[in-house]
Amino acid sequence: MIPPSSSDHGPVSSCSCGGLTLTGVSVHYRDFTALRDVNLTIPDCGITALVGPSGCGKSSLLNAINRLTDLIPGCRVGGSLRDGVGTELTDPTLDVLALRRRIGMVFQKPNPFPHSIRRNFEIPLREHGLPRARVREVMEKNLREVGLWDEVSSRLDESALKLSGGQQQRLCIARALALGPEVILFDEPCSALDPISSAVVEEHIAALRGRVTVVIVTHNLAQARRIADRVGVFWIRDGAGTIVEEGEVETVFGGAKDADAWRYLAGGAG
Amino acid sequence: MVSLFPASFTRTRRPGDILLGIAGGLASAVTLLALGCILWDLVRLGLPHLSWSFLTGEVTENGRSGGIGPILISTLMILGFALAFVIPPALGCAIWLSEMVRQGSGAARIITGSVDLLASVPSIVFGLFGMSFFCQTLGLGFSILSGSLTLACMILPLLVRTTLSALQSLPADLRPTASALGLSGATMIGKILLPAALPGILVGITLGVGRALAETAALIFTSGYATRWPESPSDSGRALSVHIYDLAMNIPNGSGAASASALVLLVLIVLINTTAASLAARWHRRHSAS
Amino acid sequence: MSRSRSDILLRSGLGTLAGLSGSVVLLILFFLVAGAMPALRDGVLPRLFLDEFWQPGSQRDPQYALLPMLAGSILVTVLAILIAAPLGIAGAIFHRFYLPPRFAAWNEHALELLAGVPSVVFGFWGLTVLVPLINRLHPPGQSLLAAGIVLGLMILPTVALTSQAALRAVPGSQLFAAAGLGLGRVATVFHIALPAARPGIVAGVILAVARAVGETMAVVMVCGNIAKYPQSVFDSVRPVTATIALEMGYATSSHKALLFTAALFLVLLSGALVGWLAFRKGKNEAAVN
Repeated sequence: MIPPSSSDHGPVSSCSCGGLTLTGVSVHYRDFTALRDVNLTIPDCGITALVGPSGCGKSSLLNAINRLTDLIPGCRVGGSLRDGVGTELTDPTLDVLALRRRIGMVFQKPNPFPHSIRRNFEIPLREHGLPRARVREVMEKNLREVGLWDEVSSRLDESALKLSGGQQQRLCIARALALGPEVILFDEPCSALDPISSAVVEEHIAALRGRVTVVIVTHNLAQARRIADRVGVFWIRDGAGTIVEEGEVETVFGGAKDADAWRYLAGGAG
Repeated sequence: MVSLFPASFTRTRRPGDILLGIAGGLASAVTLLALGCILWDLVRLGLPHLSWSFLTGEVTENGRSGGIGPILISTLMILGFALAFVIPPALGCAIWLSEMVRQGSGAARIITGSVDLLASVPSIVFGLFGMSFFCQTLGLGFSILSGSLTLACMILPLLVRTTLSALQSLPADLRPTASALGLSGATMIGKILLPAALPGILVGITLGVGRALAETAALIFTSGYATRWPESPSDSGRALSVHIYDLAMNIPNGSGAASASALVLLVLIVLINTTAASLAARWHRRHSAS
Repeated sequence: MSRSRSDILLRSGLGTLAGLSGSVVLLILFFLVAGAMPALRDGVLPRLFLDEFWQPGSQRDPQYALLPMLAGSILVTVLAILIAAPLGIAGAIFHRFYLPPRFAAWNEHALELLAGVPSVVFGFWGLTVLVPLINRLHPPGQSLLAAGIVLGLMILPTVALTSQAALRAVPGSQLFAAAGLGLGRVATVFHIALPAARPGIVAGVILAVARAVGETMAVVMVCGNIAKYPQSVFDSVRPVTATIALEMGYATSSHKALLFTAALFLVLLSGALVGWLAFRKGKNEAAVN
């Protein structure tokens, strides 16, 4: 377990141990195999985009990385997921609460707690041991990080549900950043937003490069191409999702070796 | 739906989480143990007195000895008449609310409001009302008829609500489809909507029977105390629950027979509620499948 | 008969049945008021609260103190809720956040079964098992404590089941958000789940209060039926419902009118509780929209 230190609440300036190595990862729901044999290296402090049609296990993979799969009855994860210092993330004895603090998640639908903006930070920060006196400072720093501070600083005690969809999603990003994670997983963070809000959120995700390891699932190929360093293409093979193409973003978009991936990327580009 | 049993939480290391678990586990254990004790006591006290002749025999010595045959028959008659009285108005009311008036219109709100208010009336008040209206004003006396009319009033809200929700959970496009085929209102209701909602209505009826069977306070002053074999609905007839109350409170050395009667009542209720639950489960399955 | 004629007949027939269903409660209220009228007209109402004793049948010195019985109803209900609410809500938290799904399903089935146990059976158990126990501890046994425990156990499954349903209705996205931030159970339960489920849990408790106030059989057999203010939990009490059940059989004239007045109080009390609940629900729905 990583002890909560007082200095790491917020994006850190230089990266360490934030990369992930996935070897033969599979995800099963009771009798159904959602994902099989995924091998992927996620570089430290880079942005990795996961693309592909719906239902080929991209979200399942994100859930497996920070163990949200534990919440789903009958869900099993196979294979090996290791972080930058070689800790096995699927280890059943791992302290998952500490793990989820190190590996944050932003969901497709913005999900602020139905409390005030301040409580949205206070609850997780206090849970992870930050003194009450420092909550405001960490909240302000991270709300500035996502460009929300000027919009909400006068109404921190109002319900977070009063914010627009785009603001709510930025609040969720700031809330995840406030715990000082090494990795943030984004599950289609823009797909529930209008185009303008979507562009703003995308800009703030892109700004995380070099400070936090980002893994983003997106259906927007143009977005993947704009912000990602590396890209993984998912497809259905033998009734289960798997990764069929992986590499530097320009290499993969320039000419994928896998036929399905090539057609998919070309269709999206054209 | 994603069920959120947090398997990962079982490996919690936080003292607070463990304490909360211990407190909640104790509460659950106390609940089930206390209520389990009640059931066990009833079985322990009642089983020795239970026999076939107890179920079918006549009541002798005010119930201290003999059986509960006439009482079971009276109970059945009270239930049967109560259902006969309650089903037509309850179904009519629910159909009218669901098919004939706009949701939220003034008339609909008055009717649903007063039916819901009826649901909040304590059962002893139903007893008082039944005694003064059915027994005295209508001159039915202490009789099976009075008791069943009182129970009919009591379970009316339950039946209206369950039928209404069964009708409202039918696919919305059934109605325009039926209208487009030129079906009359009566055909649409009688041949399409009611058959489709029937399983849901049956669940409501079963629950109503359970409520009626469990009821005592509404019957003490309406259906009477007679322990003879009932011959007609205008006879006085003692319901099983009233029998338990009378044996326990008014008859010295009556607790053996009271225990056995309580056990019989309990078994009947469990059977009825289990039937309702399995009907509901089947209705739900069929519904989510279609 | 033409089709539209038959539809009009159907519509008016169903409307009549609906009107009949809706008028039952009015009929009940009418009979209660009519029955209570003699007492209300004779100016007995203030005496219900001012008199010292309850001896309505007495020829020489009739006394009409209803207040000790209202107090009895309220004390028994409070005790029952003090037993049922903490156990029910804590049990529901355990059910939702600790019990593995298979055991949770069993727990729920067991509670559903127990929720159906008739009140007369609870009363009978109280009389034959609980009262002798309390009697050994502190005579006479038939007491406020016995009535509170029996009633508390009776409403416990309902409180537990409504709390479970309220916790189950907390949106999964909220719980995923909590999990994604690494919140433990205590924080998830107290900061996320309970605040979201509170309206449902409170509604369940209020319904339980209404049921407890109106319950007759579970209390009449164990409360001792002495119409005085209890000095301790071991003293006998006599709730309003028990009074009606015990005296209706022989009451005449003004005594009977008093019992109708008491019933009117009961209906107004439980009607107010349920009406307030409906109002709260309506307001919540309006706030959401």
